This record gives sequence, structure tokens and C-alpha cells, in this order.
Amino acid sequence: MIRHRAVVIVLVAVLACAMAQAQETPVRGGTLVVAISADPGHLNPAITTSGATHTAAELIYNGLLGRDDRGDAVPDLAESWTVEQGGALYRFRLRDGVTWHDGTRFTSGDVKFTFDEVLLKFHARTKASMGGVLAGIDAPDDRTVVFRFKQPYAPLLQQLDATEAPIVARHVYQGSDPQANPANASPIGTGPFKFVAYRKGAEIRLVRNPSYFKRAVPYLNEIVMRVIPDAGTQVLALENGEVDFLWGVPGPQQSRLQADNRFKMAQTSYHPGGSNCIMTVSFNLDRPILKDVRVRRAIAMALDRDAFLRQILFGEGTVAAAPISSEIAWAHARGLALPAFDRAEAERLLDAAGWKKERESVRVARGVAGVTDGTRLAIDFLHFPTFAKYGELMRQHLGAVGIEVTQRPLEPAVFAPTVFKDRAFDTNVISYCNGPDPEIGVRRMYHSSQIGPAPFTNAAGYRNERVDALFDQGARTVERDRRTPIYRQIQEIVVQDLPYVWLVETPTTRAWAARCGGFRAWTGLFAEAAFCKP
Amino acid sequence: MTPRYLLWRLVQVVPAVAGILVVAFVAVHWAPGDPVLALAGEHGDAAYYAFIRAKFGLDRPLPEQLVVYAGRVVSGDLGLSFVHGRPVAAVIAERLPATILLIGTALAVSTTIGVALGVLAARRAGQPSDLVLRTAALLAHAMPSFWLAQMAAITLAVGTGWFPVQGLSDARHAFTGWRYALDVLHHLALPALVLAAGELALTTRLTRTGVLDALATDYVRTARAKGLPEQGVVRHALRNALLPVVTVVGSRAGLVVTGAVLVETVFAWPGLGQLLLSSIQTRDVPVLLGLFLLASLTVIVANFVTDLAYAWLDPRIRYE
Repeated sequence: MIRHRAVVIVLVAVLACAMAQAQETPVRGGTLVVAISADPGHLNPAITTSGATHTAAELIYNGLLGRDDRGDAVPDLAESWTVEQGGALYRFRLRDGVTWHDGTRFTSGDVKFTFDEVLLKFHARTKASMGGVLAGIDAPDDRTVVFRFKQPYAPLLQQLDATEAPIVARHVYQGSDPQANPANASPIGTGPFKFVAYRKGAEIRLVRNPSYFKRAVPYLNEIVMRVIPDAGTQVLALENGEVDFLWGVPGPQQSRLQADNRFKMAQTSYHPGGSNCIMTVSFNLDRPILKDVRVRRAIAMALDRDAFLRQILFGEGTVAAAPISSEIAWAHARGLALPAFDRAEAERLLDAAGWKKERESVRVARGVAGVTDGTRLAIDFLHFPTFAKYGELMRQHLGAVGIEVTQRPLEPAVFAPTVFKDRAFDTNVISYCNGPDPEIGVRRMYHSSQIGPAPFTNAAGYRNERVDALFDQGARTVERDRRTPIYRQIQEIVVQDLPYVWLVETPTTRAWAARCGGFRAWTGLFAEAAFCKP
Repeated sequence: MTPRYLLWRLVQVVPAVAGILVVAFVAVHWAPGDPVLALAGEHGDAAYYAFIRAKFGLDRPLPEQLVVYAGRVVSGDLGLSFVHGRPVAAVIAERLPATILLIGTALAVSTTIGVALGVLAARRAGQPSDLVLRTAALLAHAMPSFWLAQMAAITLAVGTGWFPVQGLSDARHAFTGWRYALDVLHHLALPALVLAAGELALTTRLTRTGVLDALATDYVRTARAKGLPEQGVVRHALRNALLPVVTVVGSRAGLVVTGAVLVETVFAWPGLGQLLLSSIQTRDVPVLLGLFLLASLTVIVANFVTDLAYAWLDPRIRYE
């Protein structure tokens, strides 16, 4: 694991230097061709959290705030802000002279309209996180926006970028159904690139916005988002000079690109669908077989997480060291004792829990509460088809301690209702993206209010009043220094309760043609300052 | 072919299409999966997903949804795509030309070259060239199209730089006119050849067998006895030998909607195959039903055309 960490650090450092050098000499003009994995269907990121739409469309829009490469909030449509009333009121000062791509002036009315009529109705994350605590949004003058909350609300500044809250034009959407507005297929934004054409299933063409409010950028004349569903074809297209930028490179092909000086690569924890993701095994705590924490601990100890990192991710990532991603450094608890790989201890725990090895290789129940004697220790494991290798290793590792695992690959559209609505599973693996703040992507995994049919919430069905109270306290506490110990306490509790096993943190590897540069790790305005030499 | 027969064939289309639609509707809705994720994205709360379900009528009982859908179809409205937010007919129509181009080219190439190679193999039956052709045809037919596609992309595209590996046109240049046409042909070459390979092999083998059978018949012996040159003999025999070939080519018309999924995915060809795959993944039910409807109509029309071709190839066949 140490070796992998070292490789990753060196890779990132070397490539960060390469990017920095490239950024010193940007050139104007040129076309950047970006491979995207799916046809987005529409280009309005304010009405969906779908990764396909956000990847293709965010460069057309802006948020009130952006992010720097560490994930911290920086000015975008808002040039400054103040936090008042202990975090219950946020006041934003908007930039002057910003115009929509059709020439109309951008004002605070657009921001208020976007939140009231679009984001809080149709953007799943914004509605779920902010909807219940927001008291109202005011636009006292053209350049001021005020967010009033019912109680102090800590994560707001992390929820205002083009991914979480892209601002759309009031004059385009007012009086219409935002989901059926024709502008969703020919969007008008304030962003660095203007929409030109959308050839369905094939490509989206964007052109430089000459009136962009950040005068120095963009450098590129044109961006083409090319729909290439197959990851292998994406790499071949990069090698063949047909595309210039890939959002991700499959593990087996990374070494080939790395050895070729025509390409550059860098790792980032920002995925198009979310950031700071951890591959996580969920236990269905409603199942009698999994109610005993000794069984869950035994499963955690039977899993060699280093093997997951090596064999599935080819070393791209790190073994998870805490329930919260290490990329949210202030909330990530260091030095926690997560169950270490120890097959003998796992067997001892299973014996103690009443799961005995008899004649068969699979253990059977002898005196387990709520389980008929003689029941075999057999569980199913649900996963997306793309995560099949996780299932294979689960089966192999748990088989070694007498637990039978049956893999059930399910497409995302089937997986979500099976797990969250029907709760028809024993265990599963989900890439839980923590987002830039625990309130955005971590709370949903543990808070008891998040048990229900909504996809990718509390899959375990975990209930702990103390944890609920701590999350509520964390959301109300604005100062980061005071939030850190709260999230540490949460992590200490859940590591004892083990509703999940946190396997590996999964960054993604971007690759691009070496003649291009200036890309940002954050997915939102990733190519705002990008350039390509002829 | 009498007008009465034509009318009868047309009348048959109505119950066939209606039956297919009902079966497809029930099958798609009974299959596990929830389109709300595609509609709304992840991380919403329960109330939001309930709101979206109600907005798109997904909360209504299945028979009621079927009645509403059938009523719309009768009036020519295939509904709105969940993912695209636009009429299904428009979504399908945008992708149709790319698929017709790909499948049409592949079928044309495989049929013309396949028949020619089949005749060649039949005329040289038992000779080394026949053995080579038959073995090659067997191999080409046995190779999975996605594997062949990847091999073609690695060797003929990246390896030589002669062909692009993806798309219908060059992303960097917005060509127009004849330059655009040439660009499309350049992009079409690999996917069409890969798709044609399997079909070509089948056509070659069918033609060879058909011609050999025909060459052994009495009328061919008579023709030869009368001194007809060998080329004329083969032309005579070919007409009868083509009946099974026409049947197979006609039955492949369903490919227009379904058959090119793998090749379209590997080569990022923006056609109906890709649309079908993504619609299955996102449970975009209205688009799926629209594609099923199109596929069934295509097969019905292709069968009709096949019947017409029979009558043309063999004047003894009459439809009344």
C-alpha cells in the first residue's frame, strides 16, 4: 500500500509540475475535443444531478462560487460574500457587467429565480440538502443576493458551484416547465463557452464566449464534446489523435499512455458524477444474519483491502483509512482503528457469533439469535455490472472464512430500487461520493432520516440517535475548527458499529494530449483556462 | 399480386403491431428497474422522486398507463422521452439516418460480395480456392462482431492511421458538401466492414450451396446440352439459388434497429443501436417502446419486400 501511495504521490507531483509549466504559456485559439461517455439527452444541469448532463454542459454556466483545486470556494458570479447571524444568513455581492450569452444582463433576479423555481424543485441534491432549512432568498438590489436559513447552515459555500447550483436565465425559463423548455437543448448561460450545436448521440459543439466576464479566459476557440460510450475506444481515439481529453482511463491502459510522451495524465478525486468517492460495502442491518456486529467485523477483517486496490484499481487510489474521505482533510479522522485484514481473527469472531464450521466449507448457524439452527452463512452481494471484480474478490475472500457469497450484478436503474426501495439484498457495493462537505455526501449514508426509497442514501438502514444528533450539530456549526471534532466522533462511532466496510478511495485518472494544458481538477469549469497548441 | 392480396397483407399489420406493442409495454414495465433515476439524477429525497413519478404519470396503475399510451400511439404520438425531454419520434428520427447508412452499406456490401464469392466458390467446388473461401467464411461468421470491431480499430485505425476509430464525422473540422460526404464515408468504412463481415460469410455459404444444388438440376443439364456457355448456365442457376439468400437478407432487416448495438457502441456510431442500449440502461420506456414499434414495422415491411422479391426471382410464385 505504501508503495502505491508513493507512486500516486510522485505521479501527481510530476504531472502537477507539467501542468504548471504548461499553464505558463497558454496560447489562444484551437479546438479541444473531449470524450464523454454518454449522450446527455439535454443540457440543463440545474434540473438534474446526472453526470452525463453535468459533464457536457457545465462549461456553459457558472455558479455563484467556483472551486480552487483544493476544493475551497472562490468567486465566480459572486465577487464577495459575508456570513452573518452565526451562519443563518449569507449575503453575496454579484459581479457587475455579466451578461447572458444572448446579451441580456445578468442580475440577482436570475439567482433568486434559479433557486426558487428550478434548483429547489428539480436539482435532487440541492432540494434534499437545502430545501428543508432554507427560509428564503432575497434580491434587495440587482447585485445583492441574501440566503436566509431557519438555523445556522454550514455547507452553503460548498454548494454554490456550477455542479451543485448552476444559475440559469430567468428570462428564458420564467413561465415554463423547466423540464420541457426547448432551451434545455440549446442552452443560454453566462459561462466561458457558448452553445453552438447538439447532434444527438454524436457531439455537442461549444464556442468561446467573447463577452465572458473573466476577460483573460477562455483561450480555446472551440470545444467539442464527443459521445464515445466505450472506454477502450476513448483511449484508442486519444492515441489516434481524434480526441484530446479523457475524463478517465481504465487501469489496464494507464501504463500504455503513461509510457507515451504524446500524452499527460493526472489523478484527481473529482468524478463527473461527484467528488471524493469511496467504494463501500453496505450491510443490510434488517437481515438477522447481519445484525450481530461480530459478523460484520468478521467480514471486514476477512477482506484484504490491499488486494482490492492492487487487483481492481491497479494501485490507482488508496485503502480507505476512515469513513470520511481523506480529500475532505478537515473532516477526515486520522488514526482510526479500522478492522485490519486478519483471517484468523475473522474465523474466531464467526465462531463466537455462533456460525460454526462443520462438515461443509460453508458455516452454519448454531444458536444464532433470530436464525434457525443449521442455516448456512450465505449472503448475496449486489453490484453494478462494472463493479463485478469487487464481487469476485468478496466471494473469494469471504469464501476463505466459510461465508458463501452470491454475486448479483444489476444495472443502476435496477440496483437503486432493489436496494433502497425493496431492500432486497444482504450486502452490496456502492461508490459513495462524499462531495466537498460531509453534509453533502456523508450524512445521507448514516442519518436515520435518510433510510427510504431515495437512491444512494442510507443503504445499511443504520440508526443511531447519537450519530443523528452529531450530524445535525455538524450542519449547524459554521466554524470549520468546531466541526472537525464533531465528525471525528461520528467516525469513531460508526467504525465501532460497522454498518459499512470502507474499501478504497477511488480517484480517477484524467489523460490529455501533451500539446494541451491548463485543465482544472474540478469538473465544473475544467477547461475555462485550458489551451491547445496547434 | 392482386389488390385483394395487398389489402389482406395491410390488414394483417394492424393486429400484429398492436400485439407487439402490448407485449412490449408489459415486458418493459415488468422488467425490474426505475426510470426515475434517469429523470432526476441521484441523491434526491423521497418526496422529490414521488413528485417526478406523478409528473410523468409513472404513479398510475399499469393498465391505465397502457390505455393512455395506446391512445397516444393511435393518434401518432409516441410520447416524450424521459431522458431527452422531447418527442420520441424526433429522438428516433435523429438517429435513423446514421443507422440506415451503416446497415444499408453493410447489407449492400455483404450481399453483392457474398453472392460473388459464393458463385466463385461453387464454380471451383473442391478446388483449393473453394476451401480457402469456405474456411474464411466460417471464421468470419464465427467471430463475435465486438471482438472483430476492436481488432479492426487497433490494427486498421490506430495501427496504420488510415481510419478513424469513432464517430460519423471528424470532430475538428465541420466539413460541408462533398467533403462532408467523403468524411462520412471515411468514418463509415470500418464499422460497415465489420458489420458486413459476418453477413458476408453467411451469404457466401448460402449462395455456394444454392448454386451447387441448382447446377445439379435437370434444367441446367438441358441448358448445357443445348450448348449454353457456362456463364449463362451459372446466371440461370443463380436466380434459383438466390431464394434462400433473399430470405436471409430480408430477415436481417430487423438489424436496422437492434442488430448493430455492439458495432455502434465500439465505434461510437450515433445510431439507433446506441440509443437502444442507453435507453435500456436508463429505462427510458417511451423510447424503448418506440424502437420496438419501429423494429416490428421494419420486419413486417422487409417480409413483404422479400415476398415480392420471391415472385420476381421465381415467376412460378403467385400471390392472390
